[in-house]
Amino acid sequence: MPRVVGVDIPNNKRLDIALTYVYGVGRATATKVCEELRLDPAMQARDLSEEQLTNLATHLEKVYVVEGSLRRQIAAAIARLRDIGSYRGLRHRRGLPVRGQRTRTNARGRKGPKKTVAGKKSVKGMK
Amino acid sequence: MGRSIKKGPYIDVKLAKKVDSMEEGGKRSPIKTWARSCTIPPNFVGHTFMVHNGKMHVKVFITEDMVGHKLGEFAATRSFRGHTNKKEGLKAR
Repeated sequence: MPRVVGVDIPNNKRLDIALTYVYGVGRATATKVCEELRLDPAMQARDLSEEQLTNLATHLEKVYVVEGSLRRQIAAAIARLRDIGSYRGLRHRRGLPVRGQRTRTNARGRKGPKKTVAGKKSVKGMK
Repeated sequence: MGRSIKKGPYIDVKLAKKVDSMEEGGKRSPIKTWARSCTIPPNFVGHTFMVHNGKMHVKVFITEDMVGHKLGEFAATRSFRGHTNKKEGLKAR
């Protein structure tokens, strides 16, 4: 299987889909990359030539922020919020939703699996 | 959604004036304020504000990283310290 940008191994799929396996590349970016490099988005990723592969890799690294550097960029942004003692940083620290969502119910994506609290009334019972 | 660019960031006029006059006078004492919604412009850096949190004024020293945020972001309005532990609660009694 071909490798692009480090460890990413897109498989036997259309090129525009295979590219979305790279962190930081979605459908929109993938389609754009194909256009910029004059590659057929419908071609199978395994049919890429060596030259096309190197082109893809250098292009992705140069024009877009992907994989490690993107992860680092995001982590740095969060670290900044924490360091300046802002409300958003505090929410990140506590692992709670950052953008003002409710936490009485839901927010499971941030809080993780439910922890049952004894004696707590159910949402239905609260009215 | 952000504020329109045409209007520019919201900066409390009175507060900005106070900072300006302080800059002229060359002194930097904490400024008490209730203007939590005021965006921090670059010339606030290095000043200390006492931002109201609904109960009292919280000391906030402005660093370069804080520019563009609002004063209220640095003075939490809630003081939730976690639920009481059942075992500890019994011990206390």
